[in-house]
Amino acid sequence: MNWMYLLRRIGQMILTLWVVATILFFIFRLMPGNPLAAYIDPTFTAEQQQELMRQFGLDKPLWEQYFIYMANLLQGELGQSFFYKDSVTSIMMNVLPNTIYLMVFSFVIAYVLGILFGVLFAWYRGSKFETIGLIATLITRSAPQFWVGMVLLAIFSFHFGWLPSGGVSAAGSQYNSEWDKLTSLEFYKFLSLPAFTLIFYLIGLPLLLMRSNMLDVLGDTYVEMAKMRGLSKYRIMFKYGARNAALPVLTAMAVGIGYTIGGNVIIETVFSWPGIGRLLVNAVTASDYPLAQGAFLVIAAFMIFMNFVADLLYGLLDPKISAGGGK
Amino acid sequence: MEQMIEEQKGKDSELYIILKNSWSNFFNFFKEDRFAMVGLIIYLFVGIIAIFAPVIAPYDPHEMLRYDGEYRTNAGPNSENILGTTNMGRDVFSQLIYGARPAVLVGVSAAFMVVLIGTLVGLVAGYYRGKVDTFLMRVTDVAFGIPFEPFVIVLVAFLGPSIWNIVLAMGLLLWRDTARVIRSQVLVVRERGFVESARVAGASNFRIIFRHITPNILPLALLYGSLAMGWAILTEAAISFLGFGDPSAVSWGFMLNDAFVSQALSRGSYSWFVPPGICIMLVVMAGFYIGRGSEKILYPRMNQY
Amino acid sequence: MMKRKWLFWFGLAVLLTVVISACSNEEVKEDVVKEENVVVDVDPTRYLDPISILSRPQSAAPDEYETAILIRDALIELGAETEVQTMPWEQLADIVWYERDQWQMTGWQMAARPERLDPDEFTYNLFHSQGMVDGYNFMGYNNPEYDALAEAQRVEVNQDVRADLIKQAQQLIADDAVYHFTVHPDINIVYNKDVFDEGTITDMTGMGARNFWTYVNAEPSGDQTDIILNSADNVQAVNPFYISGSTDSWITELIWDRVMRMNDKGLPEAWAAESVKWVDDTTVSVVLRDGMTFHDGNPVTAEDVKFSFEAPKTGEVPMYQPFVEYIEEIEVLNDLELVFHLSQPWAAFETASLAKLNIVPKHIWEPILTDLQDSPENAESFQEDVPVGSGPYKFDALRFQEEVVLEANEEHFNAPKFDRWIVRIIPNMEAALGMIQNGEINFLATYTGDAELLNTRVEEAGNLEMVTSVDLGFRFFAVNQRLEPFNNLAFRKALQAVIDKQLITQIVWKGFATPADSVIAPTLEFWKNEGIETPTGGIAEARNILSEAGFAWDEDGKLLKPE
Repeated sequence: MNWMYLLRRIGQMILTLWVVATILFFIFRLMPGNPLAAYIDPTFTAEQQQELMRQFGLDKPLWEQYFIYMANLLQGELGQSFFYKDSVTSIMMNVLPNTIYLMVFSFVIAYVLGILFGVLFAWYRGSKFETIGLIATLITRSAPQFWVGMVLLAIFSFHFGWLPSGGVSAAGSQYNSEWDKLTSLEFYKFLSLPAFTLIFYLIGLPLLLMRSNMLDVLGDTYVEMAKMRGLSKYRIMFKYGARNAALPVLTAMAVGIGYTIGGNVIIETVFSWPGIGRLLVNAVTASDYPLAQGAFLVIAAFMIFMNFVADLLYGLLDPKISAGGGK
Repeated sequence: MEQMIEEQKGKDSELYIILKNSWSNFFNFFKEDRFAMVGLIIYLFVGIIAIFAPVIAPYDPHEMLRYDGEYRTNAGPNSENILGTTNMGRDVFSQLIYGARPAVLVGVSAAFMVVLIGTLVGLVAGYYRGKVDTFLMRVTDVAFGIPFEPFVIVLVAFLGPSIWNIVLAMGLLLWRDTARVIRSQVLVVRERGFVESARVAGASNFRIIFRHITPNILPLALLYGSLAMGWAILTEAAISFLGFGDPSAVSWGFMLNDAFVSQALSRGSYSWFVPPGICIMLVVMAGFYIGRGSEKILYPRMNQY
Repeated sequence: MMKRKWLFWFGLAVLLTVVISACSNEEVKEDVVKEENVVVDVDPTRYLDPISILSRPQSAAPDEYETAILIRDALIELGAETEVQTMPWEQLADIVWYERDQWQMTGWQMAARPERLDPDEFTYNLFHSQGMVDGYNFMGYNNPEYDALAEAQRVEVNQDVRADLIKQAQQLIADDAVYHFTVHPDINIVYNKDVFDEGTITDMTGMGARNFWTYVNAEPSGDQTDIILNSADNVQAVNPFYISGSTDSWITELIWDRVMRMNDKGLPEAWAAESVKWVDDTTVSVVLRDGMTFHDGNPVTAEDVKFSFEAPKTGEVPMYQPFVEYIEEIEVLNDLELVFHLSQPWAAFETASLAKLNIVPKHIWEPILTDLQDSPENAESFQEDVPVGSGPYKFDALRFQEEVVLEANEEHFNAPKFDRWIVRIIPNMEAALGMIQNGEINFLATYTGDAELLNTRVEEAGNLEMVTSVDLGFRFFAVNQRLEPFNNLAFRKALQAVIDKQLITQIVWKGFATPADSVIAPTLEFWKNEGIETPTGGIAEARNILSEAGFAWDEDGKLLKPE
């Protein structure tokens, strides 16, 4: 990989970000539903509404609003929420960690398990074990998420009472720091159901990918050699096979993380998990443009960045691609 | 979305060889691959149910049923209502049957948009290369930079909760995977001898693209279409669950949401809560089965094991 | 081979299902009723435009949506083409509120709030023609006779005479078919008997068991000394000068004291005041309790109260402005005594003002309001890091989208018996129901799900108790009187006749509601007009009303406007 490629790729990333930000601005400004509708009350006068419009800068022409928005964006300023009357950045900082905990935890487990089973399925290709395993995997990929979540909730929380049914911590519990929270058993109790639902959904991709990569690798000469040398099954599987097959799966993980950050709305709603997906949906229904826009933009930026990371990883894996798509 | 990763694994040459005889293979493999066969059967089955829904369904899915002048609400399975009734006295089985219609509608139209847009973008970018390619790939990058579920929610909130808007919103983004895969495929195919000979023989670009290149990438596009179908149906269900669904279309997603807000789960009305979920799963899985079956025509090396 | 067989059976099962289902299909027969009033060769201009009913989606407000469906079906039966259009609340409110000639009919609701226990707000603000352009009278109801009644009750200080005026106003609303009332929903509150002593829960008129008095006076029956309740909505702000969501108002009520409070009977009584005396029709003298302190240790004085009531006049507290409208002057006599001078007699002063405004510490808010004078923002967007009031609970923590924790104020003259009050944000109603059963919450303060199911669960549980009370608020459908066909009184009366409230109560609310016929809840016996008469005869009566007013039907049963 060379520096020119890296620079060009960074340039492309910024361009993409700008276009996405622009699209977002127009989508949200052209949306129907007056932000002031949230304030409707028998006691509200027309003058007060005008005043609010002015406060939020909604009385200015659209292009002017756009430039103000872009200028603010460059300074990392995402504006003020209509609904919470607080800065969008600080509102998001409240929930972003929760989203990240849930995501990282689930990804690590899903990918470890996925890679493991992927290897096993490849090794036992054609067996009953593989067939049943594959069907099970496809089920995880095709079950509606909220449906799975609700069933888990009904079983483990309502029926057996083993796990709490919502939130990130017990009522009124206080942690001295985020670290304390992350090292407390309590937190993982609350994390387990939403994480399980997410893992259930995530595990399919690494598993199937690993399986097909592994099938390729297993055909390579050095694996044949290893077999002939009489090395143990597991040694071949993991030392020779998996090591070579796992890199593309890690690339997939980069992209996957990017996608999942915005797609957690359902899990966050089912399990009352205070995360950025729920924040975004609430903001959209409340016509809270600045907040919806901010949350959307953060999610998008994260995704674009992860795509970039994945691209660089491809480049590392296969120099042909970094030269520009196989030309 | 994850398919983009699989495509860039450097399988181009094998893929090409297979695609050369692809059409006959594409239909043959249904015969040989049980998974693909099951997938196809599910598709056909749902299609038939959708077409004949008014004949099959015993009641109007919206009708609040009355027996002896009394509304029959929250009934379990009984002789008149195979799967019982909803909390508002509507027949669950009839809703399930009618639910095949939006599923087919959403699935097929999303798949159509994905195949159409994705193939066109991929073909044009891959064939013309240069500036056209760069531009189209930047557009694709932008599409990849927009989070899918949030975008659909925002757009549907914007345009109003109708099934067509949901399809439109999905179509606006889901083509991105197909476009990338098709493009890299086209980049390989266009260097092949038969394309070269067509060019030498003076065939127009239009002709080369649609006569010579398209047949070679179409099976791949259709595969992506079948996956998109599953995505679309799942997304429609999720959107319904979040309250942005089309209230007039009795889809399986709508049914699940209806059951959910009416607390069918707490009430133990499994005959209401479970069947629509299974229907969704079956249809989505059918897409995967076909996809998995296609593995064989796409990656034949695996047959060695 | 096994797989093949399986496939075969699967296919067979599928085929059988199709065949059996097809056989069981019954033909639905439509009876076409012949009318005497049938018009042949219709003048095309006589056809009605299709009617559109706005409603929130089923997932957000199942009751509203299902009611809309029932009304739609009734209108269709009457021969009027009708559809239900759903949209999120914000979009719906936007159209109804800002585009007053763009909608025909909409679902709406009025929520219970303590100050609404006095009939003034519902009587005056909702229907006075003053509100037609930008106020709450979005229906465009304009009746000078009504305006006169609404104005008269405002200044009538004799409550008996005033009650009579309020009753007349209710009848007029029914006669003019301004609102199409459906129900006063039941408020179903569930608490855990292992946590709460049963006798100490207060069921407040029109507000249910979820109220200030329960939170302050309830006593623990076991070791659990936290009240843990649920809310479906996020907390927007904890601000004494900002009327935001209902969850927010539960919190502000507990953190800040008020001069008076609505008691469990729905009448204002002195709270932070030793006494509230009417010297004459426009003069009220208030003596504060001795020894009250803010949570930061400073004493509560008459100056703080004066400041709290004058702040809305600075323009920095717009939402509270109407509640101090008729206060002309506030005179501080000493640390604990002050006198309110009103510009005109004001019947609802105690409820709408003394029991509404929060007493804020002047030493904290005066500098803030001064700063705000020079900025485009106002006090509504100011969030204190630690809100300071003098109320029975102190602010402890706010975890966004998660919970708000309040701590008991031991120093308070009415100190709570519980140690903490914690509201958890649970958007999933099914989860909330699960939580009250497994003990994660011990007070189910919000429940919008199926009441019948809740009741069953409570009976099964043994340690749960459900308190059911009639809501002060009500559900209704508003029609736009600016537009056809709702500008025609006969059509509105016909609509009244076909809205089957008994059916709505039974089917949509599963019996957990009371049919409504007025803005005043039946529990407010003093104000409620018990003798309101409206047409209830269903389709037959509706047809009569319409025929008499010149409406007719074509051969296919479609409704035609009068010639």
